[in-house]
Amino acid sequence: MKKIDVQNQPVLSPGRIIQIAVTGVKYRLFRAVVTVAVIIVAMAFLMNILTESLIKRAIADSVREQIEDLHRVDRWIARLTMPQSGEELLFVLAEEEAPSPVLGEISTMSGLSIDALQALRPKAQEAVRYLNFFNEIDFGRRRVLVGPVQGVATFDRLSADPAWHQFTSNLADMRVLRFPEELSDFQDFLAEWSELQAKLETIREGQQRSIEQVRNAIGDRSLMSALSDADGDFGDIIRQAGFSLPDETAALLVRDVRRVKNTQLIESTINIAEVRQAVAAERDVLPGDVTMRMIWRLLRNQDRAEWFLGVMRDAELETGDLTAERLEAIANQRAYARLLTIAEQQTMEAQGGLMGIGMRMTWLAFVSMLVCAVGIANAMLMSVTERFREIATLKCLGALDAFIMSIFLIEAGLLGFVGGLGGAIAGLLLAGLRMAVIFQSLLWTAFPWQDILVAGLISIGIGVLLAAISAVYPSFRAARLAPMEAMRIE
Amino acid sequence: MSTATEHKVEDIASATGGKRVIIRSLGMKKIYRRGEEITHALRGVDVEIYTGEFIVVMGPSGSGKSTFFNMIGALDSPSEGRVFIDEVDVAQLTAEELAFLRCRKIGYIFQSYNLIQYMTALENVTTPMAFGGVTPDEARRRGMDLLELVGLKDRWFHRPIEMSGGQQQRVAIARALANEPSILLCDEPTANLDHRTGDEILEILQKLNKERGVTIICATHDHRMMNICDRLMWIRDGGIERIAQRDEVEVELGSIE
Repeated sequence: MKKIDVQNQPVLSPGRIIQIAVTGVKYRLFRAVVTVAVIIVAMAFLMNILTESLIKRAIADSVREQIEDLHRVDRWIARLTMPQSGEELLFVLAEEEAPSPVLGEISTMSGLSIDALQALRPKAQEAVRYLNFFNEIDFGRRRVLVGPVQGVATFDRLSADPAWHQFTSNLADMRVLRFPEELSDFQDFLAEWSELQAKLETIREGQQRSIEQVRNAIGDRSLMSALSDADGDFGDIIRQAGFSLPDETAALLVRDVRRVKNTQLIESTINIAEVRQAVAAERDVLPGDVTMRMIWRLLRNQDRAEWFLGVMRDAELETGDLTAERLEAIANQRAYARLLTIAEQQTMEAQGGLMGIGMRMTWLAFVSMLVCAVGIANAMLMSVTERFREIATLKCLGALDAFIMSIFLIEAGLLGFVGGLGGAIAGLLLAGLRMAVIFQSLLWTAFPWQDILVAGLISIGIGVLLAAISAVYPSFRAARLAPMEAMRIE
Repeated sequence: MSTATEHKVEDIASATGGKRVIIRSLGMKKIYRRGEEITHALRGVDVEIYTGEFIVVMGPSGSGKSTFFNMIGALDSPSEGRVFIDEVDVAQLTAEELAFLRCRKIGYIFQSYNLIQYMTALENVTTPMAFGGVTPDEARRRGMDLLELVGLKDRWFHRPIEMSGGQQQRVAIARALANEPSILLCDEPTANLDHRTGDEILEILQKLNKERGVTIICATHDHRMMNICDRLMWIRDGGIERIAQRDEVEVELGSIE
C-alpha cells in the first residue's frame, strides 16, 4: 500500500475552471436566462440614458451656431431697441478679452477706454459668480434670502444693512445651501458695487445714445424694413452709431430679414377666406380646420407652391418677390428651423452630471444598478442553495475553496457580460429610435459613434462588475460550505 | 506532528501484531451546539482500522454513525480527541492539505450517488483527477480504464440522468477510485438499489478489497454485506457498542436463523 506525504492541493488551471463553470451554466440555462434578463433591463436603462444624453450633447454642439443664426434678426432688433441689462453687461465684461469687437463697440459707445473695460473684468467675473449662485437656487429660497429682486438688483438690495442681515441670517439657517464664496468677500464686493454699477450705467447710457441716433435716422420706417437695407445706407448709419457690423453679417441680415418678411406674408394668408377655402378643398378638410402647418407642408412641394402662388394672386394678394422656388425654399428652411428649435429645447438640459446625463438621471441609474445587484445576488444565492450537494461533493473530491468561489464568480461574470452586451444593444436601439423620432435628419449629422461605443463598453463593464460584486457573498458562502453536507441524506 | 505522538503511534503499531493501522481515533468526541441545546453526537470513540480491511459499521439512525463517518473521512474535525489517517493528525492539516488528503487518500461513495448532474460519466470520473493535477489526456485514459472496471466503458458519454441507479452508483465507485485512494468510505451504497444491482455493487467492492487491497469502511443495513466483510462494528448513542470478527457473528446469525 502506497503512503502519501500530505501536500498542498494543486490549483486548477483557469481554462479548466472556466470550462466547468460554463458547463454548469449551460445545465441551469433557465435560471441563467432569468438572471441575464434582470441585468439586460438594468443595463438597457443605463445605456439608454447614456446614449440619449450623448446624442443630445453632440446635437447641441453641432446646432448651436445654426440656432444662433436663426435668431440673428431678433438679436439685432433687440440690440437696436434697448441697451443691454446690467446682468448681460456683466456677463459680457467677464467673458470678453481684448482685443474683441464686442469690447471695441462698448468702448466707442461709452467713451471708456478698452483698458478701463479690461480692468473691470475681475470684478465682473466675481459678480457673475454671485449672480450664478442666485440664479441657480430655487424661487422660494431666493425669495427668503433676497426678496423679490432679480439680476443686478440683488446687489442693490443687499447693499442696504437690513437686507444684508436678512440674507446672512437666513443663509445660516439653510443647512443644505452653501454660499460658494467667502461671505466677507461678498461684503467687500457689495461695498464697491455702486462704483461698478456707475460704470455699467455709463455703458448703458452710451448704448442708449447710439440707439437714439439710429432711431432718428430711421424716421417713420419700421426697424424691420430699415434692416432690409443693412448692407446699404442703413448699415452705414448703424456703424456710425458705434455698432460693429461686419459686411458679411450685414449681408446675412438682409437675407434673413427678407425671409422673415416673406414668412410673415405667407402666414398672413391664412386669414384670407379665399386662401383658406382653396387649401381646404385641396386637402379635403373643412375651411375652419386649415392650419398654418398644413399650408407649410403644402409649400414644401414646388408644384403645390406654384399652385398656392396662383391662389394668392386670385385672391388679389400682394405676392411681392415670391416665386414658387422661393416658397418651397422658405418652407423647407422653416421645417429645418423647427427641427433646430426642437433640438434647442430638447438639448437645453443635456449638460452636467456623469457623461451629461444630469444629477437626477445619475441617481436613477444608480438606483436601478442597486436593484439589479440585489437581483443578481438573489439569483446567485438561489444557485448556491440548489447546488449545496454538488458543492459539498466537489469538496469531497478535493476541490479547494478558491475553486468553488471562482466557479460562482465566473458564472456571475459570464451572466454579467451577456446581460451587459444585451442591455447595451437594447438600450442603444431604444435610444436611437427615440432620438430618431425627435431629431429626424439632425440625428445623422452629429451621431457620436465613438462616445456611444465607449458608453456601450462602460455598460458591459458595469454589468460584469455588478454581477461579480453581487456574487461575492453567495460564492463566499458556497466556498465555506462544509464537505460533510454531501453525506446528508435527503 | 509532534515527536511524542509519533512515538505513541509506533508503540501502538507494534502492539497490534504487525497489522498497519490506517485510521485511528483517540477519545473522539463531537458536540453540536444549537443555541442552548447541546447534542453529544459522539462520546469518546477509540477505534483502529487496519490497512486492507473490509469493515462494516451498523447502527440505527441518530446513533452518531454519520458523525463518525465525517470524522474518519476528514470531512469534519472532532470537538475533542484526535483522528489519525495514515498516521497523520487530521486536526493539524491546513485547508489545502485537507483537500489533498480527500482527493488522493480517501474515496467517498454516497447513498444518493452525488454525481455532478451536468457532467458525463467520464467527466465525473476525471474531475477528482483534474483536482489532483493529472493532465487531461492521462485523466481520460485512466477514467476509461476505471469505467471499464465497473463495466460502463461504452456508456462514458451518458449523463447521470440517462443512467439507472446501479449504473450511477458504479460511476460513483469509479469516481471514488480516480486517484487510487487507500481508503474507500461508503455510506449505505446499496440502500437505493434493487437486490440484483446491489449484488453487483457488492461484487465490485469485494473485488477492490481483495485485488487492490483497498481499505473499505462501509455503513450499511444490508445483511449481504456481512458475508464479505472482515469485521463488524455497531454504534449506538454516540459510542461503540461492539466490534466483532465476521466468523463470530456468523455463528450468531446462524443461531438466529
